[in-house]
Order: sequence, then C-alpha cells, then structure tokens
Amino acid sequence: MNTDVFKGICKRDKNIINADDESCNHFENAQKCKHCSNFKSTQADLGMCMNKYDAYPEMLAVTCNDYKPR
Amino acid sequence: MKKENDLECTTEIYNYYGAKPEGGFLSREEKKSATPRVEKARQMYFDTKSSASVEFPYWYTRRWEELEGEVQIIRRAEALKSGFEHLTPAILPGELLAMRKANYLRGSYPMPWMSEGFFLSKEDDLFKEVQNAGKASADEVTTMGQGGGNVTKSVGSVISIAGKFGLRKEEMPILIKVAKKWFNKSVDDIGHKYEQLVPGYGTKEEIMRAVICMFDSGYTLPQGREVMNYYYPLQFGIEGIKDICKEKQASVAGVPGMDRLYFYKSVHTMLEGLQAWILNYAKEAKFMASLEENAKQKDEYLEIAERLEWLSKNRPRTFHDALQLLWIFHVAVLNEDPISGLSPGRVGQVLYPFWKQDMDKGVLTEEKTIELLECMRMKFTELDCFASMGVVGGVLSGNTFNNLCVGGLDKDGNSAANELEMLILESAMSCDVPQPTLSLLYDEKLPEEFLIKGVECTKIGTGYPAWVNNRVAMEFLLNNFKKEGMALEEARAWAIGGCLETSPGSWMPLEVNGETYYIPGGSAPATSVGVHFISLPKVLEAVLYDGLDKRTGRRVYPAHGSKLESYNDIWNVFKHYFSITVEVLTLTNNIQHDIWGKISPSIINSMLKPDCLEVGKDISNKGCRYNRTFNVEICGGVNLVNSLASIKKNVFEEKNFSLAELKAAIDANFGYLSALETGSYSLIEQVKTANYTDWLKIHKQCLDAPKYGNDDKYVDDLFKEWQIWFSKMCENYISLYNEPMYSCQISVSTHAPMGAVTLATADGRLCGTTFADGSVSAYPGSDKNGPYALFNSATCYDHSLSQNSQLNMKIHPSVVKGREGSRKFLEMIKAYLRKGAFHAQFNVVDSRMLKDAQKNPENYRGLMVRVAGFTQYWVELGKQIQDEVIARTEYEQIG
Repeated sequence: MNTDVFKGICKRDKNIINADDESCNHFENAQKCKHCSNFKSTQADLGMCMNKYDAYPEMLAVTCNDYKPR
Repeated sequence: MKKENDLECTTEIYNYYGAKPEGGFLSREEKKSATPRVEKARQMYFDTKSSASVEFPYWYTRRWEELEGEVQIIRRAEALKSGFEHLTPAILPGELLAMRKANYLRGSYPMPWMSEGFFLSKEDDLFKEVQNAGKASADEVTTMGQGGGNVTKSVGSVISIAGKFGLRKEEMPILIKVAKKWFNKSVDDIGHKYEQLVPGYGTKEEIMRAVICMFDSGYTLPQGREVMNYYYPLQFGIEGIKDICKEKQASVAGVPGMDRLYFYKSVHTMLEGLQAWILNYAKEAKFMASLEENAKQKDEYLEIAERLEWLSKNRPRTFHDALQLLWIFHVAVLNEDPISGLSPGRVGQVLYPFWKQDMDKGVLTEEKTIELLECMRMKFTELDCFASMGVVGGVLSGNTFNNLCVGGLDKDGNSAANELEMLILESAMSCDVPQPTLSLLYDEKLPEEFLIKGVECTKIGTGYPAWVNNRVAMEFLLNNFKKEGMALEEARAWAIGGCLETSPGSWMPLEVNGETYYIPGGSAPATSVGVHFISLPKVLEAVLYDGLDKRTGRRVYPAHGSKLESYNDIWNVFKHYFSITVEVLTLTNNIQHDIWGKISPSIINSMLKPDCLEVGKDISNKGCRYNRTFNVEICGGVNLVNSLASIKKNVFEEKNFSLAELKAAIDANFGYLSALETGSYSLIEQVKTANYTDWLKIHKQCLDAPKYGNDDKYVDDLFKEWQIWFSKMCENYISLYNEPMYSCQISVSTHAPMGAVTLATADGRLCGTTFADGSVSAYPGSDKNGPYALFNSATCYDHSLSQNSQLNMKIHPSVVKGREGSRKFLEMIKAYLRKGAFHAQFNVVDSRMLKDAQKNPENYRGLMVRVAGFTQYWVELGKQIQDEVIARTEYEQIG
C-alpha cells in the first residue's frame, strides 16, 4: 500500500518499503493496467485500454470493472 | 560618500525595528501528548511527502470525453462519479476514520478541467526530469528533511512539481496527455477567451504581470473560504437524499425551469459515485482484516467495513458514524474542485446530538471522544490542495485552511458552547497539528471556563484558536445579507470560512431520538472570490512613478500626468488607480466564475448547501440562501498607510525632502542591497552598500515618520480614512450574482511575494522585504508603545464595515506562564475585542527558537507557528514568511 510517491507499507507486516526496493517472498503483483489483458503498450509509460482509451501501464486498476488478469 | 561620524543619527536600522534575537531561548509550556494511536499516525505523517497522482483526473477525463454532447451538468456529474468510483482505497493501520482524497496519505491530484496550462507550458521541462530520473538511494530520499513534507526537488523516480508535490515519473506522460485533452476546454482557457472582451483588459494583464494582483479567481480556487453544511447527510443519509432527488425530479420534469431537472439528476448520479467510493473502502477494509493477525486491529478493520457499508445508504446511528460521514462529505467536496478554506464550521454543535445520545447511553466516553477527535485532526492535517503553483506556494503556504469554530450563540441567542467543544479544544492541545485550525467565536455570554480553555490552547503555541468577535461578525452579516432576508436569529448561525472570512449560515432541524436540534451550517457559496489580493504599496508605487511598474519598466496604468504637488494629489491618484484595478478585476473575474459555473458547476457542495436542493439550483445559479459573497481583498494596508504618513509629513508638511528626492532614495533602496540579493526578507537582516550613508538621513526621516500601531492620531486618522473609503468603494462594483461586493482584509501569505516585487517604500521598508501581515498588525518592530496602544490604533475604525480584520501578535512564553498568565492573557484579549475589534491571533513563542529552527530545521519537524489566519509547520513555510514571523514584535509584557 503506497503512503507516498517514495514508499509504502506492507499490508501484512506493516513494515515500510521504499518504492525502488527489492520485493520480498510474499510480494504479490498489484492489480495494475500492465497486468490486464485489455491493455496494450504503445510507448514507454503509455498504452491503450480496450483499443480505445489512452492508458498507462502503472495505473492501479483495483477498482476497474473491466480488469482482466493476463 | 558621507562619513558616519558626520551624521547625527544612528547607522543601524535595527535600532528602529527592534533587536536581533540572540542567546538561549525559552520553550513553550509543556503540553499533553496525543493518544498512542494518534501519536503513531502523526509520526507517519511526518515521514510522508506530498504526493500527486493521476487516477482521478484520468477517469474524470475519460468519462467526460465519452459524453460529448450531453447536458453539461450531467456530463460533469458522470465525470465526477467515474473519478470517485475508481479511486483506489487505502486504509492505514490504526485509523478509526477511513477514506482520503487519493490513495496516498498526503494525496492530491491536478484538476486539468480547471486549468491545464501549467503542465503544457512545462511539458519539456517535466519530460527532461523524467529522462533524468533514476533509482533513488535511501540516502537521497532521507535528505528530503528540509521542507517537511514538501517534495522540494526531483529525486530518483519522483518528479517534483513546483517544489511541493511529488509525482511518479511513470505517471507524467499520461498526465501530459490528459492535460492536452483540456487545451482550449478548461475553465482557465475558456474564461481567458471571454475575459479579453472586457474593456481595459490590457490593463488587467499588466496588473497581473506587475503582481499588483496576486491571482485570478475563477479557475484557481473557485470554491472554498466557506463553511460546510452537513445537515442533509446527517438527517437523511445518502439514500434519503437520493429519494429527495427522485421526488423532485418527478415534480419538475417537463415543467419550465428545466435546469432543475438536470440538477436533481446530476446530484443523484454523483451520489451513486460516492456510494461506490464508500463501498470500495468497505471492501478494502474487509481485505485488510483478512490479512490481519492482530485480533484488535482485525476487529477495527471489520468495524470500519460495517460502518461504511451502513453509511453508504443510511443516516448515522452514533457519534462515530456521524463523524465518519462528516469526513466523507468533506473530502467529497474537496475532490470536485481545487479548494482551499473549506471549513467544517461549528462541528461541536453539529455533532452534539449524536454525542449526547451516545454519552447518555453509556456507549461513549470522554477518552474515546478525544481519541476520535484526534483522529479527525490527523485526517484534516493530511489534506493537500493541488491548485496552481503560485496559489499553493505564494498564497496558501501549503495550507488548506479548514477552520473549525467553537463558541458563538445558538438560535435563541444563548451561549452555544458545549461539553463536546471543550473536548475539541482538549484534543487540539493534545494533538497539536495544523488542521483543522480553530476559531473561538467570542461573545460575552460564553462561560469563563470555556474561555480559559481556549486561552490554554492558544498559549501552548498552537496558534489556535484565533479569537473572533461574534457581535462584530453578526453586524457585518446583517448589514450585507439583510436584503436576502437574513434576520438576527440566522445571523447567529455564522462561522469562519477559510482563514478568516465571515460566512453566513442557517439553522437546520436535525432530528435525533425524537428530539429536534437546530444545527448551524454554511448557507452561502465561497465567500472569498472576486478580486484576490491587491497590493496597496505597489499601487502607491505606480502613483509615484506615473503609472509605471518601476521594476519592469512596463506601463500598468494610464499616465496620471499630475505633478503630485500636494498630499491630496497623491491620495486622489491612488484612489483612481485602485478603482481602475478593482473595476477591471471585478469584470474579468465575473467572467471566469460564469465560465466555471457553466463548464464545471459544483454538484456535491451545491447539494449540501441550503437551499440548493430545495429550489433545484446549483451554487452558480444562486441556489444558496445567501449570495452576496464576492469580495475585494487587499494586502499591505499598513505599509500603505505608514508610507502615506511619511510622505504627508516629510514631503508636504515639514518639507524634509522633496518627492523627487524620495523617489531617488527609493530607486537606490536607501543604500541597501535588495532582499532578493541578500536572501533575507525582514528589515532587521539587510546589507548596506558602500554609499548607504548618502541616503541615511532621508531613510531615518522615513523610519521616524509616524507609524501605525502606536496610538498616534496622525497616522491612525489616515488609516481610518483609508478603511472607510475602501469599504464604501467596494459597493460600487457588482458581482456575478448581481450583488454589491464587500471588502476583505486578510493577507494569508501574499505579503511575502507581493513585498518581493515592490521597491522600497516611503515608510523606510526596503526593496523586496515582506509587508506587514494581516490587516491591522503593525509592521514588525514599529509598534513601540505596547499592546494597548496597538489595540487603540487597530480599532480607530468600525471593523464591521469589512468581512474581517486581522491582527497577529507575538507573545513571549514567559508572559503567559501558569494559571495567572492565562488570566492575564484572556483579559488582554477581551480588552481588545470589547473595543470592537474583529480578530486577534497569537504566536506564543521565543523568537530565538525560531532562529534556531531556521538554522536547524531537522530538529523542529513538529514546530508550528501562526502565519496570517492559519497555523503551519515551520519547516513547510518559505523563507520570506519565516523571516517575517521572526521579525514580528515580540511582546514581553501584556499588563
């Protein structure tokens, strides 16, 4: 869980993790556009959603009803 | 160059404006700690940076584009709904109140539908930052201590936006793409197109360029400086409001005045978005509970989930429910526009029925109440406002001005202070964080015990509560809102919106357990929009230089052509230039606000404000009960008056020097380097040039001229003349809502950037240094006759002529120590307010501590000071404001 742009908290053990740190064994991919089958990358940090909307790979998609894991 | 020994005067300006603070310092009085839960949250807050995200604007824009051709307010509601239902929920361990603006703790986001220009103009720079981004080392991240929670520079994969907000580099390309979709469609762009049709628009451009006016109104902070109204959610719950909308829809569908239909439909749509947002949080709480091994924490997550599920439909059952629902709607409004100064108002009176019910039932204790109130304080403190850059830094100092009021009178004219408000004060002492700031609505009917509690809070150095005169505010309101039907009873429902804006309210009948409680709440739109911050010393500078901005050489005003042969000549040209400024800014800002109402109307806040839901009109269509809310704000009034006094005395009466000689001295900055060269912004820290003695005599005569704040009739008469003329002239200008405007006198932080672009002034102030703060604060160090002399000067005119007045004082901690100190302090405050003053606020601090904090910010992460209408962390203030606060006169005696 992000607390700011630099870091977050592990939802399990509550430890602070810097965004650029290596992940631990319990790490699970967040639900993001880049893990969704509706997303196609077009260039660095940009892409398309369902072939019609601009989108970006790092966007959280936790609340997206159209999210389909690859 | 003249020799110093040849001059019969001192060469140190410090002797005029107080001594430089030196030596050891005295700390503030000890205070209680927050509850362990909240202390942990506070530490986490201290370790957290202001962070921006693109999630909400992305979904808002995506939905907006899908609905091209739809009725505008429906399109807006659908876009907001999409934004809310896609916000990623984030619940931190230990939280008792859930939900936040964005998924980060100090999260916020740009709103390109208001203004996208910044991102487009900076596109190249921002992309360069992205290209240079790399992996951040832990060391790099930890060097960010300076600036508190501000991301002052780009580090690793984080791009700093305006030295305040951090944005992940991978979000920058989509932000630019989203911003481009609003090119020529945002409120800023469309407003700009039409405001150019105003006669004299070129003058407006020059006024803005010269920083005679600080910023535009309609697309920067179109809402705020107002008081929330939580009545509808508390009384009806979300489903209940949706039912009202459905009934109203049916009654107006097909009936002339069809905008009502679209308004009700938009409210209904937007509420669906809020319900989805709340339920997403409930789901996240359940998920967090599923991961949790600690039984207590697990239960708390499950309680959050249950509460949110309930509140997504129903009215609150308990105090905890009511506080949570209040917070949900507060954040919801903040998410619809860039907003500063959205005040929760008289929360202790609004929530009292639920609190009393729980206390009577024995399901709530005072200790638990304090813990919840401390949690509320942390939630308000985490709020950030992503407005345009000049606004966030130059005006707000990063603050969001959520003012909570205590005291005042109830509907029947009795003291409205209650036991819950005592606990609000208590929690503000134990959890001393900047938000919500507090204002105590002082009335002679308030109990002494309550007032003493207020003083105890003020004197531990929180800067709050500010002390505000209930009767003066009511008088102002009755003068200005009578035409719209305000009677005495309703005048009592007022509160402070934003830092210090008197805002009209109303009493609404909340039913709890079969009893009806009339609760106060805001019933007007933003009370501080219109003309934002005119720099009075800069207007006077233009008078002396025949309409030019001497700093840039550009012509701002038409040449007046007057030889300025008398004081009256100067005063008359000043009034002429000031009037030109107000006129053109009123017209252009009216257009901006009109465009705001057409493209981006308020739906959530409109729904909450009586009588929008009743009459089916949003705020921009005058749906509120009271609409005479546009004002004219000024800055630097005391420097203006001190300068006028100096010119009158030195040039025209005693003929110590000519106007030409004065201008030459101003051009030479009285022989000093400018503040921009020295990097110090108060008068006590300036650097002489080699030829300063050439100007020493004239500088001394300027400094020796009568100064406001000393009970000196000479200058106080000028102050009074200015005040009366200013308040009256505002009524000549008509707002978008077809009502006369009124005067507003707060500086917020504008006295720093406006001082920075202003030459030396005839009162002896040097080029680039910060103006006096507030409206009736003395220029730092110039008030030499003690507090009561300052009070006499400040009250030389009728404060109810204006929406506010603002007095800042700095008191040494030794003066107010102990119970006896509290009593003395209270008596001093009472003495001032009884003279008809509107407001006073205090920094109880040793200046030497502030100097130490400037040198060693890492030791002072939690140090707070009062600026001008708000309390802020010292380390999150710019140096211009820090220097000004240090320089303020420090009173070591108040008796």
